Amino acid sequence: MARKAFLIDTTRCTACRGCQVACKQWNNIPAEGTVNRGSYENPPQLTPQTYNQIRFIETEKSGDLRWLFMNKRCLHCGDAGCMKVCPSAGALYRTPEGLVGFDAAKCIGCNYCINGCPFDVPRYTEDKKVTKCHGCIDRVSNGLAPACVKTCPTGCLQFGDRDKLISAAKEKGKSVYAEKDLDGLGVLYILDDTPGTYELPAKPAIPASIFLWKDVIKPLGILGFWGAVGTALLHYVTVGPKKVEEDDDSYTGGKGDA
Amino acid sequence: MPKYIVRHNAAERVMHWTLVVSFFILVLTGLGLYAHAFFGYLNFFGGAEQGMLFHRWASILFIISSVFLFLSNMKETLTFDADDAAWLKAGGGYLSREKKEIPQGKFNAGQKLFAVFAILATVVMAVSGFVIWFADSFGRALVQFSLMIHALFFIFFVMAAIVHIYLASIGNPGTSAGMLWGQVTSGWAKKHSSKWYKAMGGK
Repeated sequence: MARKAFLIDTTRCTACRGCQVACKQWNNIPAEGTVNRGSYENPPQLTPQTYNQIRFIETEKSGDLRWLFMNKRCLHCGDAGCMKVCPSAGALYRTPEGLVGFDAAKCIGCNYCINGCPFDVPRYTEDKKVTKCHGCIDRVSNGLAPACVKTCPTGCLQFGDRDKLISAAKEKGKSVYAEKDLDGLGVLYILDDTPGTYELPAKPAIPASIFLWKDVIKPLGILGFWGAVGTALLHYVTVGPKKVEEDDDSYTGGKGDA
Repeated sequence: MPKYIVRHNAAERVMHWTLVVSFFILVLTGLGLYAHAFFGYLNFFGGAEQGMLFHRWASILFIISSVFLFLSNMKETLTFDADDAAWLKAGGGYLSREKKEIPQGKFNAGQKLFAVFAILATVVMAVSGFVIWFADSFGRALVQFSLMIHALFFIFFVMAAIVHIYLASIGNPGTSAGMLWGQVTSGWAKKHSSKWYKAMGGK
């Protein structure tokens, strides 16, 4: 099956936040108590009850105030840090469409995915189960668009075959954020400023410590274990043990400095 | 000279075996989180969540017994003299069947290095484990680093344990008795720890 993806053209976002509401409606997630922080951005970041969220960014470019909006969510990485670190197979999984889904029943609450994600996306519910945008797998597998895409009135959010979305964006002369990083992101952002302005890493990657842990140390561990066992066995059959003979009086204790 | 000499007192022996039991609980539950191939080990402890609880409680036992064992032998462990240097230079006599007599105290230089490694690794595992345990309270970069370090020292610890178990059992017959019921033969002491043997009244 062709890999599916979201295309999020931030230049078309009016920050109506219909996506935020539609997500809660389809996924049956309750609303949250909020406070006025002097911004429409609400809640201030992704939460266990908010799988996608509109960021409100105020920035200045050559003296002009710019008000930028961005739909923040799981980016459904091709090489997903969360899946890489998850000890419980199937708690985070790849759908046939190439999205990253989660199964709360298999989640063991180890916290690894929260720290393995390059974008700080997964959140835990109060009973320590992972939640995040799962791309409305239940809708997508039945040929429907994800709830947020269905509701988006401006065409900012699109969903479809990843290759087609990319070529369509390129035909319009728009470049896609980090198109090839992390084996290709499942969320294709068209940004209206630098990635840093949107608090996105310029070159997203699996965090260095996580890469070392899972791709270097873990395989070397196999070598370390069998190397130690093998060395001990080899020593035993070549040099052999230091036996203490009952009638061996030849040991003088040597002559030392003490 | 009596036939047997007390090598480890009862408190040290009990703490050592407490450490061994907690170590294997930590290794089995830790392996469950380390690779999907070992995930099933967590079922020995009643499932993943229970297994992680076992890991945390075992870690407390492990830290207490490890620190106790280090402190009870600290003076000897942290003394390093010319004989120890000679022992290391000769590879402890482990590299050939040729008989080498290098006088050693209660612990040989290799055992001293093992003891220093064990306490340092205990501290590293305890600190990184604490950060992982209370991951919510720390920054993501620190938690990521701790996860990496915890895995690295896990491997070091298992490798050191394999070498330790080999050398204390079939590699040096008669050694395990010193940790099992506390006594080694005077012949063993004369061969392996001649300075200690003399200090205990042997000739």
